[in-house]
Amino acid sequence: MNSAFMEAAISLNNDYVREWKEAGKKVVGYTCSYVPDELLYAAGILPYRVRGFGATEATIGDTYFGPFICSLPKAMLQLAGEGRFDFLDGAIITPGCDSMRRLDECWRKAGEDISGILPKFFFHFGVPHKYADYTVKWFIEEILRLKADVERHFGVSVSDDRLREAIRLFNKSRDLLERFDGFRTAGNPAIAGTEALAVILAGTTMSRDIYVKLLEELLETLEQSRGTLKDRTRLMLVGSASDDVNLVRLIEGERAVVVADNLCFGSRFHADRVDETGDPIEALAKRYLAKNECPRMYGEYDGRLKMLIDKADRANVDGVILQNIRFCDLHGSENGLFERDLEKAGIPCLKIEREYGPLVETGRLKMRVEAFLERIGQRRQSA
Amino acid sequence: MRPELKEYKFDSMLLSTFTAAAKLRNGSEKEYRTMLKYIPYFNGTVTAVLDTGEPGQLFIECISKYLENYITAREKGFHNAITTFCFSPGILYAMDVYPICLEVLSVAQTFAYRRGTAEFLDFCNEVGYTETSCSSQRGTLGAFLAGVGADVDMVLTDTPGVCDTNANAFAFAAAYLKVPFFSLDMPPVLSEARSDEYHNSDFRALIAFIEKHTGRKLDIDRLRTVLREIERQEELVAELEDLARMVPNPLPVSFNLMVYATRFLFSGMKECTAVLESMLRVASDNASRGASGLSGGVEKMRAFFCYIDHYTNSLRLWDFLDRNGICYQGNILSRSWSNMAPHVKEYRTEAAAYSFDYGDLDAMIRTMALHNSRMPMIKSIRGPYDAPDMWLQDTLSLAKMYSADCIIYNGTPGCRNTWGMVKLFARDTEKAGFPTFIMYGDAFDDRVESWEASQDRLEEFLRVRRLLV
Repeated sequence: MNSAFMEAAISLNNDYVREWKEAGKKVVGYTCSYVPDELLYAAGILPYRVRGFGATEATIGDTYFGPFICSLPKAMLQLAGEGRFDFLDGAIITPGCDSMRRLDECWRKAGEDISGILPKFFFHFGVPHKYADYTVKWFIEEILRLKADVERHFGVSVSDDRLREAIRLFNKSRDLLERFDGFRTAGNPAIAGTEALAVILAGTTMSRDIYVKLLEELLETLEQSRGTLKDRTRLMLVGSASDDVNLVRLIEGERAVVVADNLCFGSRFHADRVDETGDPIEALAKRYLAKNECPRMYGEYDGRLKMLIDKADRANVDGVILQNIRFCDLHGSENGLFERDLEKAGIPCLKIEREYGPLVETGRLKMRVEAFLERIGQRRQSA
Repeated sequence: MRPELKEYKFDSMLLSTFTAAAKLRNGSEKEYRTMLKYIPYFNGTVTAVLDTGEPGQLFIECISKYLENYITAREKGFHNAITTFCFSPGILYAMDVYPICLEVLSVAQTFAYRRGTAEFLDFCNEVGYTETSCSSQRGTLGAFLAGVGADVDMVLTDTPGVCDTNANAFAFAAAYLKVPFFSLDMPPVLSEARSDEYHNSDFRALIAFIEKHTGRKLDIDRLRTVLREIERQEELVAELEDLARMVPNPLPVSFNLMVYATRFLFSGMKECTAVLESMLRVASDNASRGASGLSGGVEKMRAFFCYIDHYTNSLRLWDFLDRNGICYQGNILSRSWSNMAPHVKEYRTEAAAYSFDYGDLDAMIRTMALHNSRMPMIKSIRGPYDAPDMWLQDTLSLAKMYSADCIIYNGTPGCRNTWGMVKLFARDTEKAGFPTFIMYGDAFDDRVESWEASQDRLEEFLRVRRLLV
């Protein structure tokens, strides 16, 4: 695999971001997969998914957030407070979940105390929690509000033609990622879950046209290669946001391979397409709001369960790891339901609660994963 | 969970408890005092409520009636729905659906029983529901998940966009129990035309959902009757709130609790109106005599609770306040945002309020939608806390208007939406001149922090800040 993907996945201000900035162009961060990043790209702005990767302490995060809050937004605030997002010209906060939406206030207030850490463009983007004609209408208005603010603040204009062009490019990257998925889920996978997550993550941190070229090269290479990951236990990783390739590396070890996922930094990134015909704003609104893979879309459990079972079937998984960051009640409790229903469907599950961060719980997690792999192994023997 | 807990329906037990409590005063004073010895974990609650006289008696009867209504709804050919405290039950009563408000039932259990809802809280965790989620829903939810509550027809909530842990509890309940689910969604801004439109469309979808699952059409006359009753209730609450501004405050400390609990139970119904009218008679009488509502008769200071109360058994928070001469100046739960509320007039926040319009069915649905979207919490905690008409502005306005000497935050560790920014919020209220105390306990589960520990910390705050000397 091209090392560019991994480098982009494990560094915040990567070479692609630096080159973009050196060309005098702007970068806007966003915190949730419900932000239509095509809009920013059409404005000539690099959309950059804000992450918590690399935070090694929580002194700043803990100063502003309360104690019972998910460690991911705390890590994001920590990085912002340390100046590690200084390359951002803007940030978009969404109500992805309660902890994440409070990043709005915490970042703003930290910005009053620590000079220079708050991007000048700071936008609260309201994303509805269900899909209906009136919620789509609201979301269209919200996207238009974002568009107007971006245009005003950055002195740019986003034409429908530019937007359609961006939509086509982003759809193309989704098509390529879908082909890429085929190499993950093959009988003998050609790529490990660790690298696969890096490939997907990289797309949120670099210019999409470069990303598409890199993906095309990668796919060519993969087509000529043979699957080497034989005889490994095939897992699917599900649950809270995870942008840390080391978590997947820890899970895979020498005996397993993560062949599928339902993570918002993972395959949710390229699920579905934006309609390339008709009004582009409406098309964006419909694609993003129709995404029900995240438990923030309440009342859609049955759909998500079916999606997981379908994914598990397609990828022929031996087991599912359901993980959630502590205090993430949305994923945590839905994982409880998944565990019940997937086990009932004959799919072994491991439910893990963890902290986000520099894998402070490596030993515990490794032990639990190994026990899970043992369980799957015994199940195979007795089958 | 103890096996014996599974032998009885928890809500039928609760009904028996409150039905018996409602009869306690039927005998002589001696008989009453003797009975209190037999309910050691409930007698503080009973005393605090029944000692207020007629309002307390009516209030206990209300709880009993409420429980009976939803428990027997199905056998009477009606429906019931699990719902939440910030969902106005008016529309449900107008459509013959009896609400099962999880938070109110959790409070009723913590008030009445030594263990409160502890075993139901834990049962939730056993079936995969997170221990970090909010205890206010979890305590009663556990009983329904364990199959020891009434059979349920549907689940309704209105907290998406406001409180994840709340909305998630209801989504989980619906998925676990396999019953129909509907949620009203709350956009992050309150007073914009497009938000009003959103609320209106969403509310219409709710009505369509209820019609589909009950097979009953919304009756315009029933809706008008309910709305008129809500309007009357808002008038009464406005009068009570006006009285609470007096020095001394003529309202007993438990009145605030009774105001919001009665509305959560019976908003739009005569039962609620009767309790409010009775409270107003008592408060007006105290006011005319210049008497404090505190049992000691001396008001030493005034506390404003910016969120919720602490519901340990025997009403120990209220007892603590009353014993120490601390006047209770309300919390987020007791406020209403109709245009007749005194704080709306005082701070000219009419744009964030709503008015009653009976013109036609559309007008009434719109009124109901706006009323619902201004219920506690979903009104002021939907957007950034420091945005217009949100939590900070509301708190500072109310604390100032009711001459509070301090602001106290109490919630649950499961409350992500407030814990996400309460430190910043407290910093701002302090800057505005209000000593502010953050309680770290759990309003519904004193295993997290015992009431005694919470009380020690609260006393320390009052002492250190020289608020109660």
